[in-house]
Amino acid sequence: MIQLIIKRLAIAIPTLIIIIAFVFGLMRVAPGGPFTNERALPPEIEQKINEAYDLDKPLIHQFGIYLSKIAKGDLGPSYKYKDFTVNELILSGFPISLTLGVSAIIISLFLGSLLGIIAAIKRNTIFDYTVMGVSLIGICVPSFVLAPILSLFFGLYLGLLPISGWNGGNIYNLILPVVSLSLPQIAIISRMMRSSTIETLNSNFIRTARAKGMPKRRIITKHVIRSSILPIIDYLAPATAGLMTGSIIIEQIFGLPGIGRYFVVGALQRDYTLVSGVMILYASLLMLLILLSDILRGVLDPRVKIK
Amino acid sequence: MNIKNYSKDDLDNILSIKGNSLYSDAFKRLLKNKASLVSLIILLLITLLSIFGPYLLQYDFYETDWNSIYLAPSIESRHYFGTDGNGRDLLVRILYGGRLSLSIGIIATLVSVLIGVTYGTIAGYFGGKLDTIMMRIVEILYSMPYLIFVIILMVIFGRNIYLLFLAIGAVEWLTMARIVRGQTISIKEKEFIEASKSLGQSSFMIIIKHIIPNLAGTIIVYITLMVPSVIILESFLSFLGLGVQEPLTSWGVLISEGSREMETAWWLLIFPGLFMVLTLASLNFIGDGLRDALDPKEY
Amino acid sequence: METILSVNGLSVNFDTSQGLFKAVDNISFSIEKGECLGIAGESGSGKTQTFFSITGILSDNGTATGIADFNDVDLLKLTEKELSNIRGKKIGFIFQDPMTSLTPHMNIGNQLIEVSMVHEKKTKNEALKKAKEVLDIVKLPRIENLLKKYPHELSGGMRQRVMIGISLMCDPLFIIADEPTTALDVTTQKEILKIFNDLKKFKDITIALISHDIGVISEVSDTILIMNEGHIIEKGNCQEVLISPKHEYTKHLLSCVPEWMK
Repeated sequence: MIQLIIKRLAIAIPTLIIIIAFVFGLMRVAPGGPFTNERALPPEIEQKINEAYDLDKPLIHQFGIYLSKIAKGDLGPSYKYKDFTVNELILSGFPISLTLGVSAIIISLFLGSLLGIIAAIKRNTIFDYTVMGVSLIGICVPSFVLAPILSLFFGLYLGLLPISGWNGGNIYNLILPVVSLSLPQIAIISRMMRSSTIETLNSNFIRTARAKGMPKRRIITKHVIRSSILPIIDYLAPATAGLMTGSIIIEQIFGLPGIGRYFVVGALQRDYTLVSGVMILYASLLMLLILLSDILRGVLDPRVKIK
Repeated sequence: MNIKNYSKDDLDNILSIKGNSLYSDAFKRLLKNKASLVSLIILLLITLLSIFGPYLLQYDFYETDWNSIYLAPSIESRHYFGTDGNGRDLLVRILYGGRLSLSIGIIATLVSVLIGVTYGTIAGYFGGKLDTIMMRIVEILYSMPYLIFVIILMVIFGRNIYLLFLAIGAVEWLTMARIVRGQTISIKEKEFIEASKSLGQSSFMIIIKHIIPNLAGTIIVYITLMVPSVIILESFLSFLGLGVQEPLTSWGVLISEGSREMETAWWLLIFPGLFMVLTLASLNFIGDGLRDALDPKEY
Repeated sequence: METILSVNGLSVNFDTSQGLFKAVDNISFSIEKGECLGIAGESGSGKTQTFFSITGILSDNGTATGIADFNDVDLLKLTEKELSNIRGKKIGFIFQDPMTSLTPHMNIGNQLIEVSMVHEKKTKNEALKKAKEVLDIVKLPRIENLLKKYPHELSGGMRQRVMIGISLMCDPLFIIADEPTTALDVTTQKEILKIFNDLKKFKDITIALISHDIGVISEVSDTILIMNEGHIIEKGNCQEVLISPKHEYTKHLLSCVPEWMK
């Protein structure tokens, strides 16, 4: 197990460095530097600015400085929001995005797996058809269509829920964003869980469990779930990536000041330090989740330990 | 086994005959599946409408009419789906948007299929260290928030529609490569590949003549499932203002406009959304149907 | 002699996409207590489905009709719940593929003890004691250690012994062994068959041994039943049938056995 974690870290850290190098490289080759759309500056001031941002040093040197700063947790000053550092901006948005993301992921994992298992057990019944039909809609209606429709209906038409703003994390403000963020994932996870549960139910060891006369409930809880949940564990990281990109849109639609918002604003305004800061944060989070899903897999599947 | 008595041509004939009947059988099975059949018809209808519809309508997609701003859908005004804030006819804009969304879907998918199939067959066929390295790269790329890369690419290199094709194609090939690799590994173990090898065919010819035709089913299924995800990706970027630019339009652009103006004009959100969802659902149903048709093993 | 299982007019149908498929067609036979019945036939002859159907572990698209009296209870009339109280308790099972027939994420000990804990409401310690007993019967070494192992850590032969152990947990009256040696190498086959002979001799357990391999059947069985395409072709004393088969099909089947085995 420890070997596995070390092996994963050995892949994760170089990957992160490659991502950082990539982002860094893009920032440098990008046309239109951070200050180009402003008035032409006197050369000595430009010189000062370049010095202040280390832009006058050789590229590899700059990368070195950048990397060591990141290692210390310093993502540098924002190019656009002059009075803020990227750290400050991210810190202000992160709690919001984290609340949104964590609630969405917990809800999608729990509901998705549960619906998938029940649909598989009750295969070819009304329940199965309903879940699969609704989940198909969930897959086909992208979050940027779903979210406005939901807020049109529940917010404007029924007037039940607020359609925008954070309001200090009030639960009513959270409902619509979290629901629109998790529905597509619930759909994907329930379909995945259904097919993997059906596959497990058809496997030889379930026949053995039945031949041992185990009650249905015990077969499902002790024999089926631990095998059929494995694809979902593997899907954890892609699901998180999906939620991250989803949250970019959702935060935009519901006017939530999370990091997705900063990412879009940063991207549109060419605030390269901000964009790369968010990018690095996202990548690190994903690496963490891949590690987590590997550990979970190791716990659930004894065969992993040997490899 | 006396397979070696066959000549190269015989062998190819046998294989291709088998292939043909497999696919025509699969097509018959697909048509029997009601959901797939209906989806096929809807998709065909939307495609034809997008191509020819604009010629039949009296409005142009960029034509502004300040006398008919935010007209609700009605038959008398001949704005069947209503108009937007610039008085432009929504129906014709949706159909134009459909042209763009569908062609981006198809072209970007082809780009990614090309990359994915090449990569996957090479890794799978040659195996060994090459395979390990190639798949490790895919694994690493897989773990990246690739959509965010696309956004960065679009920001840096400008909002260029050709770049959009490329950028989307370039990130969507990973799944394809993985699937193709897996299939290639199982196909290359089959006897007829051994037979071709013993007949002295080169690796390249074996891949082209025997492996890829046998992958065709899988590839077709994933194309139908990939087109919708590409359409979503494009709309996603357009929604953020990073994709297709005015005066051109796509479903993503329309939905984005619609969601901003839904309080005054619900139809601007609902109709483009409906077209998009119908298309995505049809493609998904067809993909599912095709998968069942090509792999008749039932659960 | 006491009849333990008597099957009358059993038919098994499968509802497939190509229409209804008749796997077993109106067959009748019986097994006496302590007898070992060998069921031989090619794959697809319905030999496995016969026993799966009467114990209720057919796949979902299969249905069975007829009468199957086990200990004077018609198994085909029981509900799934009642049947599951019989399976594992009074009827033990051994399957063909030991590699995939054990739950991969559960250790051997837990797979054994759950049988006694569910059926006989034994405590964990009592069940563990029983588990060690049965593992001793199937001649597995280092039992303490083994109980904590997972299936993938064992060889095929060891897993099949564990399978037999599981079937013995509640001292069943009857064991159904479906191709128990097919996936094993010849040496292991011999050892497993020896366990069957011991079970017959010392435990007085009735066994239905399903195999396509007449050699395997002849080593353990008292009586033999030849099946083909869902019908019983021939039934009788194992030695007699093998030495002087009456039916053409049996002769044909026997002609496939290598010379040295005869």
